[in-house]
Amino acid sequence: MGAMHPILSEAASGFFRNQDSFLEDIKENLIAGRASVVKLLTEQALRRGVPPEVIVEESLLDAMKEVNRCFSARIMAIPDVLLSSRALHAGLYVLKPYLTAAGVGVNRGRVLIGTVAGDLHDIGKRLVAIMMESKGFEVIDMGIDVPPEEFVRGVNVHNPDIVAMSALLTTTMGSMKTTIDLLTESNLRRRVKVIIGGGPVTQEFAQDIGADAYGYDAVSGAQIAVSMMDQMPHVGPSDTS
Amino acid sequence: MRSNYTVNASTHLRVLSDSQLEEIHYAVLEVLERTGVDVYHDGALDLLKKAGAYVSGNNVRIPSAMVEAALKSSPSRVTLCTRDKRRTVLLEGYNFHFGTGSDCPFIIDLYTGQRRKFTKKDVAEGMKLCDALPNIDFVMSMGLISDIAPPVSDRHQFEAMLLNTTKPIVFTAHNRAGCEDILAMSAAVAGGIEEVVKDPFICLYAEPISPLKHMYEAVDKLIWAGENRIPVVYTPCIMSGATAPATLAGAMVSATAETLAGLCIHQIVGEGAPFIMGGVYGIMDMHTTIFTYGSPEFMLMQSAVSELAHFYRKPVFSTAGCSDSKVLDEQAAIEAALSILLAAQSGGNLIHDVGYLESGIVSSFDMLVMCDEIIGMVKRIVRGIEVDDETLAVDVIHKVGPGGHFLAEEHTMRHFRSQTWFPSVINRQRYEEWVNSGSLTLRERVTSKAKAILAEHVPKEVSGKAVDEVQRIIRSAEDREL
Ligand code: B12
Repeated sequence: MGAMHPILSEAASGFFRNQDSFLEDIKENLIAGRASVVKLLTEQALRRGVPPEVIVEESLLDAMKEVNRCFSARIMAIPDVLLSSRALHAGLYVLKPYLTAAGVGVNRGRVLIGTVAGDLHDIGKRLVAIMMESKGFEVIDMGIDVPPEEFVRGVNVHNPDIVAMSALLTTTMGSMKTTIDLLTESNLRRRVKVIIGGGPVTQEFAQDIGADAYGYDAVSGAQIAVSMMDQMPHVGPSDTS
Repeated sequence: MRSNYTVNASTHLRVLSDSQLEEIHYAVLEVLERTGVDVYHDGALDLLKKAGAYVSGNNVRIPSAMVEAALKSSPSRVTLCTRDKRRTVLLEGYNFHFGTGSDCPFIIDLYTGQRRKFTKKDVAEGMKLCDALPNIDFVMSMGLISDIAPPVSDRHQFEAMLLNTTKPIVFTAHNRAGCEDILAMSAAVAGGIEEVVKDPFICLYAEPISPLKHMYEAVDKLIWAGENRIPVVYTPCIMSGATAPATLAGAMVSATAETLAGLCIHQIVGEGAPFIMGGVYGIMDMHTTIFTYGSPEFMLMQSAVSELAHFYRKPVFSTAGCSDSKVLDEQAAIEAALSILLAAQSGGNLIHDVGYLESGIVSSFDMLVMCDEIIGMVKRIVRGIEVDDETLAVDVIHKVGPGGHFLAEEHTMRHFRSQTWFPSVINRQRYEEWVNSGSLTLRERVTSKAKAILAEHVPKEVSGKAVDEVQRIIRSAEDREL
């Protein structure tokens, strides 16, 4: 075997650890954004008999809470959050089979996101997707220039809890209304919450076109998505915001 | 007689050395040859392939020789004219000209201070203001109009510009049909398409999608401009750290690769047609996720892209006079002043976005008037200090002698006007005089200047016949598109 990264070898040597030290270590490495270490430690913790739901609640989600706090306090910046989010998902990936078996939902829900028809602005929407992932959402990104029919098809295929639309142009905002109207016509509107955002979009516009919410940036959007899920009766994992 | 005498006829600024510029250039060529760009336009893909690029699917890897050929065939200078055919904006060397930006969704209402949607009337008024401001040399629309149906809003926006200023217009259009209508409207005023091509008073604006993607509409506009020989600005809007590398040099490389890929397409269809390379090179603020228009990194890169353009001997589109502040305040003034100084110092030929607030989401007439003043100040700074026998003034120093004064000297009379910049909204009153005239802040003074201009200024009119033709073109676009 080739030379191991010092952090990996330290993690690998943790055979005699107790549950708490695992939980602390996972947390620390998640906050530091080390996905491979989090994955390794999660596997080890599982093997050593730490219950999967404990790893989720007391390590992964707790760590993300700390990440969000650090971001708000400007100790961490977007790339840090992105790396931590990757580490979170590395841990969740390992735990997924056990959690569904144990009936614990780690997923906050599923979000279908896209930039609306005629609009090619990409990066804002991607950031919203990243921040939602960091809150534990599963995000399906439909890309840019997504026509209303595609959103509807996406809802049918992926059955999301939330539809998120981005528009950066005055000239493409109208497509958000068309999409919502088409969802209504297709009897899908009631099945999903709709959140919208982007430069020219306002709270008032969101109300006018019948969206459920407006988010002025990725962080606020993700927070709103969390509270949307909390208001839905059938799910209710602990709050990470 | 003397030898080895050097003159600084203006102030100097260099961010990058010749060696560094050359290194960036080679990195750009390597990116184009190795990574290539994605082009979503079948016609362009065909052309690029025939010209010798390696096309696979939408990806196009461009050999260095092809890029160098495009750099060779495109002109080193482009002249933009006024609507009445004065050749005022010479985009060459270190010449610099300032103008507004385009397409903001919102305006800060001059009368109420409210942030609200941009209307067609706002564009007309903005242009009137630009027409009167002495340091604004060209215009962009300032806002994207919200009170006209989107498919034809570009034609209406252009009409509002065309009729309210004679200054050269950098326009945006939704697509090729929009470009064609706008050219027809311009031809109606100029007396034919050829007149517009000979003395262009319009210039198209188009953008790639960073990183390294060229979508259909943008490429189609480039091709349209090349075919019709209408000047075009092709300008990446990169965010270092998000849509380009976090290192400023890397961001410049990625963005310039986008520009030069655009140049290749453009020169294949219109060899020698006028092309202006661009730059809105910014960073993403990693806490708020905004595209910064006021960061020091943004200003540095604006200077660097101008220097790169000088290295290529190509005209350049630069950015300054804009801010991340939400209103005209101290932050806006700091960011505007520094960016205007740096952009001018580095000879950004066509420096746009003057008057932008909130990172390009809001245009403000107040901000524009303040920036006009800053540009005046900066022009004086850049002019530097003239040194010759007359300005060294040894004779008059001798004449006045110790303890005298210079106020009444012939020498003073001869020079003080041309040596000095005279402010318009910058205040130099003594305290009591300032109090007596209402204790107005800079903000209040720029607001009242903007209002006064709008009340008084009458832009040169377009002939009634041409106006009719312009409106006929709009109506027929409406019949087709709505
Ligand atoms: C970068 C940029 C581009 C790039 C985009 C590259 C890319 N890879 O995405 C390029 C160069 C391609 C581009 C193209 C154009 N652009 Co542009 N662009 C911008 C710019 C400068 C920054 C946008 C940005 O990326 N910001 C950074 C990201 C991270 O922030 P964001 O997008 O705002 O997203 C955040 C929030 O808004 C929110 N959010 C966004 N979506 C959603 C969705 C949900 C559900 C939620 C909750 C939140 C949310 O969260 C995000 C993250 O915090 C803006 C000016 C500005 N300051 O907004 C103009 C701007 C949006 N563009 C504009 C224009 C006009 C255009 C063009 C039409 C120009 C032209 N004539 O060719 C084309 C349009 C092409 C098309 N059909 O879409 C105008 C829009 C004007 C208007 N009234 O509609 C603006 C305002 C600039 C201006 N003043 O002219 N643009």
